[in-house]
Amino acid sequence: MDRPRQPSTETAFVFDSVTTTALTSALDGLSQRQRAIADNISNINTSGYRAKVVAFEQALAASVARGDGDVTAAVSESRAATRLNGNNVDLDTETLSNIDTVLRYQFASQAVGGTFSSVQTALRTS
Amino acid sequence: MTFDAIGIAGSGLTAHRRWLDALSDNIANINTATPTDGDAFRQRYIAVQSDSDGGGVRVVGAEYGSGEGRLVHEPTHPLADADGYVRYPDIDLGEQMGHLIMAQRGYQANAAVVDRAKTTYEAALQIGRR
Repeated sequence: MDRPRQPSTETAFVFDSVTTTALTSALDGLSQRQRAIADNISNINTSGYRAKVVAFEQALAASVARGDGDVTAAVSESRAATRLNGNNVDLDTETLSNIDTVLRYQFASQAVGGTFSSVQTALRTS
Repeated sequence: MTFDAIGIAGSGLTAHRRWLDALSDNIANINTATPTDGDAFRQRYIAVQSDSDGGGVRVVGAEYGSGEGRLVHEPTHPLADADGYVRYPDIDLGEQMGHLIMAQRGYQANAAVVDRAKTTYEAALQIGRR
Protein backbone atom coordinates (compact mmCIF):
# COMPACT_ATOMS: atom_id res chain seq x y z
CA MET A 1 0.00 0.00 0.00
CA ASP A 2 1.41 3.34 -1.08
CA ARG A 3 1.65 6.06 1.51
CA PRO A 4 0.99 9.58 0.27
CA ARG A 5 4.15 11.64 0.00
CA GLN A 6 4.23 14.60 2.31
CA PRO A 7 4.96 18.00 0.80
CA SER A 8 8.62 18.93 1.20
CA THR A 9 7.81 22.12 3.16
CA GLU A 10 6.45 20.08 6.05
CA THR A 11 9.38 17.69 6.23
CA ALA A 12 12.22 20.17 6.54
CA PHE A 13 15.49 18.30 6.23
CA VAL A 14 17.62 18.34 9.38
CA PHE A 15 20.06 20.87 7.93
CA ASP A 16 17.22 23.33 7.20
CA SER A 17 15.34 22.72 10.45
CA VAL A 18 14.63 25.57 12.85
CA THR A 19 17.00 24.02 15.38
CA THR A 20 19.99 23.88 13.02
CA THR A 21 19.25 27.32 11.54
CA ALA A 22 18.89 28.86 15.01
CA LEU A 23 22.08 27.21 16.25
CA THR A 24 23.97 28.42 13.18
CA SER A 25 22.68 31.96 13.75
CA ALA A 26 23.74 31.70 17.40
CA LEU A 27 27.25 30.52 16.43
CA ASP A 28 27.54 33.38 13.91
CA GLY A 29 26.36 35.94 16.45
CA LEU A 30 28.64 34.61 19.17
CA SER A 31 31.73 34.57 16.95
CA GLN A 32 30.90 38.13 15.86
CA ARG A 33 30.65 39.10 19.54
CA GLN A 34 33.98 37.40 20.18
CA ARG A 35 35.56 39.56 17.45
CA ALA A 36 33.93 42.71 18.85
CA ILE A 37 35.30 41.94 22.33
CA ALA A 38 38.78 41.33 20.88
CA ASP A 39 38.46 44.68 19.06
CA ASN A 40 37.31 46.44 22.26
CA ILE A 41 40.11 45.04 24.41
CA SER A 42 42.78 45.71 21.79
CA ASN A 43 41.59 49.35 21.83
CA ILE A 44 41.48 49.61 25.62
CA ASN A 45 43.99 52.48 25.58
CA THR A 46 42.97 54.11 22.27
CA SER A 47 41.73 57.67 22.75
CA GLY A 48 38.18 58.30 21.55
CA TYR A 49 37.36 54.63 20.98
CA ARG A 50 33.78 53.56 21.76
CA ALA A 51 33.12 49.96 22.75
CA LYS A 52 31.10 47.83 20.30
CA VAL A 53 28.15 45.76 21.48
CA VAL A 54 26.77 42.77 19.53
CA ALA A 55 23.12 41.85 20.13
CA PHE A 56 21.21 38.94 18.60
CA GLU A 57 19.60 36.90 21.41
CA GLN A 58 16.26 38.74 21.53
CA ALA A 59 15.94 38.78 17.75
CA LEU A 60 16.82 35.08 17.65
CA ALA A 61 14.21 34.18 20.30
CA ALA A 62 11.55 36.11 18.36
CA SER A 63 12.61 34.48 15.10
CA VAL A 64 12.49 30.96 16.59
CA ALA A 65 9.00 31.73 17.93
CA ARG A 66 7.95 32.54 14.34
CA GLY A 67 9.42 29.21 13.18
CA ASP A 68 12.35 30.73 11.31
CA GLY A 69 15.57 31.01 13.35
CA ASP A 70 17.65 32.92 10.81
CA VAL A 71 18.90 36.23 12.24
CA THR A 72 21.85 38.56 11.69
CA ALA A 73 23.54 40.06 14.74
CA ALA A 74 23.30 43.83 15.22
CA VAL A 75 26.43 45.80 16.15
CA SER A 76 26.05 49.10 18.00
CA GLU A 77 28.26 51.45 19.99
CA SER A 78 28.15 51.27 23.77
CA ARG A 79 26.52 54.25 25.50
CA ALA A 80 28.52 53.74 28.68
CA ALA A 81 30.23 56.78 30.22
CA THR A 82 33.60 57.62 28.70
CA ARG A 83 36.88 58.15 30.51
CA LEU A 84 38.91 61.36 30.16
CA ASN A 85 40.41 60.18 26.85
CA GLY A 86 36.97 59.58 25.31
CA ASN A 87 37.28 55.79 25.60
CA ASN A 88 34.50 53.75 27.22
CA VAL A 89 35.84 50.18 27.15
CA ASP A 90 35.23 48.55 30.54
CA LEU A 91 37.75 45.73 30.96
CA ASP A 92 35.64 43.95 33.61
CA THR A 93 32.53 43.87 31.42
CA GLU A 94 34.50 42.80 28.36
CA THR A 95 36.34 40.03 30.21
CA LEU A 96 33.13 38.61 31.68
CA SER A 97 31.39 38.85 28.32
CA ASN A 98 34.40 37.16 26.70
CA ILE A 99 34.24 34.17 29.07
CA ASP A 100 30.44 34.02 28.78
CA THR A 101 30.73 34.00 24.97
CA VAL A 102 33.32 31.19 25.01
CA LEU A 103 31.00 29.01 27.12
CA ARG A 104 27.94 29.80 25.02
CA TYR A 105 29.90 29.03 21.87
CA GLN A 106 31.00 25.67 23.27
CA PHE A 107 27.39 24.94 24.25
CA ALA A 108 26.01 25.85 20.82
CA SER A 109 28.72 23.96 18.93
CA GLN A 110 28.10 20.85 21.03
CA ALA A 111 24.39 21.15 20.24
CA VAL A 112 25.17 21.39 16.49
CA GLY A 113 27.46 18.37 16.83
CA GLY A 114 24.64 16.52 18.62
CA THR A 115 22.20 17.28 15.79
CA PHE A 116 24.63 15.95 13.21
CA SER A 117 25.48 12.84 15.23
CA SER A 118 21.77 11.93 15.33
CA VAL A 119 21.78 12.14 11.52
CA GLN A 120 24.80 9.85 11.47
CA THR A 121 23.00 7.41 13.77
CA ALA A 122 19.98 7.43 11.46
CA LEU A 123 22.23 6.77 8.45
CA ARG A 124 23.91 3.82 10.14
CA THR A 125 20.63 2.09 11.13
CA SER A 126 19.28 2.09 7.56
CA MET B 1 40.42 35.52 7.86
CA THR B 2 38.90 32.58 9.59
CA PHE B 3 40.41 33.05 13.03
CA ASP B 4 39.79 36.81 13.27
CA ALA B 5 39.60 37.24 17.03
CA ILE B 6 43.16 35.95 17.51
CA GLY B 7 44.50 38.45 14.96
CA ILE B 8 42.52 41.32 16.48
CA ALA B 9 43.83 40.56 19.97
CA GLY B 10 47.28 40.17 18.37
CA SER B 11 47.06 43.77 17.10
CA GLY B 12 46.39 44.81 20.71
CA LEU B 13 49.45 42.84 21.85
CA THR B 14 51.59 44.57 19.21
CA ALA B 15 50.35 48.06 20.11
CA HIS B 16 50.92 47.53 23.83
CA ARG B 17 54.35 45.98 23.27
CA ARG B 18 55.36 48.99 21.16
CA TRP B 19 54.16 51.24 23.99
CA LEU B 20 56.18 49.20 26.52
CA ASP B 21 59.24 49.52 24.23
CA ALA B 22 58.84 53.30 24.05
CA LEU B 23 58.35 53.60 27.81
CA SER B 24 61.38 51.50 28.65
CA ASP B 25 63.43 53.56 26.18
CA ASN B 26 62.22 56.77 27.87
CA ILE B 27 63.06 55.45 31.33
CA ALA B 28 66.44 54.13 30.18
CA ASN B 29 67.34 57.62 28.94
CA ILE B 30 66.00 59.55 31.91
CA ASN B 31 69.54 60.54 32.96
CA THR B 32 71.03 60.96 29.49
CA ALA B 33 72.94 64.24 29.47
CA THR B 34 73.49 66.11 26.19
CA PRO B 35 75.42 69.26 25.31
CA THR B 36 73.43 72.49 25.65
CA ASP B 37 73.76 73.37 21.94
CA GLY B 38 71.57 70.36 20.99
CA ASP B 39 68.22 68.85 21.98
CA ALA B 40 67.80 66.83 25.13
CA PHE B 41 66.60 63.22 24.76
CA ARG B 42 63.00 63.50 23.57
CA GLN B 43 60.53 61.10 25.14
CA ARG B 44 58.63 58.92 22.69
CA TYR B 45 54.87 58.42 22.67
CA ILE B 46 53.13 55.80 20.52
CA ALA B 47 50.22 57.05 18.40
CA VAL B 48 47.48 54.44 17.88
CA GLN B 49 44.22 54.36 15.97
CA SER B 50 41.40 51.84 16.02
CA ASP B 51 40.99 49.98 12.74
CA SER B 52 37.86 51.23 10.96
CA ASP B 53 36.82 47.70 9.91
CA GLY B 54 36.82 46.37 13.46
CA GLY B 55 40.23 44.79 12.95
CA GLY B 56 41.70 45.92 16.25
CA VAL B 57 44.24 48.67 16.78
CA ARG B 58 47.03 50.02 14.59
CA VAL B 59 50.20 51.85 15.57
CA VAL B 60 50.20 54.86 13.24
CA GLY B 61 53.51 56.34 14.36
CA ALA B 62 55.43 57.91 17.18
CA GLU B 63 55.18 61.39 18.69
CA TYR B 64 58.11 63.00 20.43
CA GLY B 65 58.09 65.24 23.49
CA SER B 66 59.95 68.51 23.85
CA GLY B 67 63.72 68.51 23.37
CA GLU B 68 64.13 71.51 25.63
CA GLY B 69 64.72 69.48 28.79
CA ARG B 70 66.27 71.21 31.78
CA LEU B 71 69.70 72.73 32.25
CA VAL B 72 71.79 71.39 35.09
CA HIS B 73 74.97 72.99 36.35
CA GLU B 74 77.67 70.29 36.22
CA PRO B 75 80.98 71.97 35.41
CA THR B 76 82.93 68.71 35.70
CA HIS B 77 80.76 66.94 33.11
CA PRO B 78 82.72 66.29 29.90
CA LEU B 79 79.77 67.61 27.82
CA ALA B 80 79.36 70.80 29.87
CA ASP B 81 79.36 74.11 27.95
CA ALA B 82 81.53 77.14 28.77
CA ASP B 83 79.20 78.10 31.65
CA GLY B 84 79.27 74.54 33.07
CA TYR B 85 75.75 73.49 32.01
CA VAL B 86 74.47 70.23 30.45
CA ARG B 87 70.98 69.39 29.24
CA TYR B 88 68.91 66.61 30.82
CA PRO B 89 65.59 65.34 29.46
CA ASP B 90 62.49 66.56 31.29
CA ILE B 91 60.88 63.14 31.81
CA ASP B 92 58.52 62.53 34.73
CA LEU B 93 59.41 59.10 36.11
CA GLY B 94 56.08 58.79 37.96
CA GLU B 95 54.15 59.36 34.74
CA GLN B 96 56.31 56.82 32.88
CA MET B 97 55.82 54.22 35.61
CA GLY B 98 52.05 54.81 35.59
CA HIS B 99 51.95 54.34 31.82
CA LEU B 100 54.15 51.27 32.19
CA ILE B 101 51.53 49.62 34.40
CA MET B 102 48.73 50.59 31.97
CA ALA B 103 50.68 49.16 29.03
CA GLN B 104 51.46 45.98 30.95
CA ARG B 105 47.84 45.44 31.99
CA GLY B 106 46.67 46.13 28.44
CA TYR B 107 49.12 43.56 27.14
CA GLN B 108 47.94 40.98 29.68
CA ALA B 109 44.27 41.63 28.82
CA ASN B 110 44.98 41.04 25.13
CA ALA B 111 46.97 37.89 25.86
CA ALA B 112 43.96 36.55 27.80
CA VAL B 113 41.70 37.30 24.82
CA VAL B 114 44.01 35.29 22.52
CA ASP B 115 43.70 32.36 24.91
CA ARG B 116 39.90 32.56 25.07
CA ALA B 117 39.59 33.00 21.29
CA LYS B 118 41.63 29.82 20.91
CA THR B 119 39.19 27.94 23.18
CA THR B 120 36.28 29.19 21.04
CA TYR B 121 37.84 28.09 17.76
CA GLU B 122 38.73 24.71 19.26
CA ALA B 123 35.04 24.22 20.05
CA ALA B 124 34.18 25.06 16.45
CA LEU B 125 36.71 22.53 15.17
CA GLN B 126 35.07 19.80 17.27
CA ILE B 127 31.75 20.08 15.39
CA GLY B 128 31.05 16.84 13.55
CA ARG B 129 33.71 14.85 15.43
CA ARG B 130 32.71 11.54 16.94
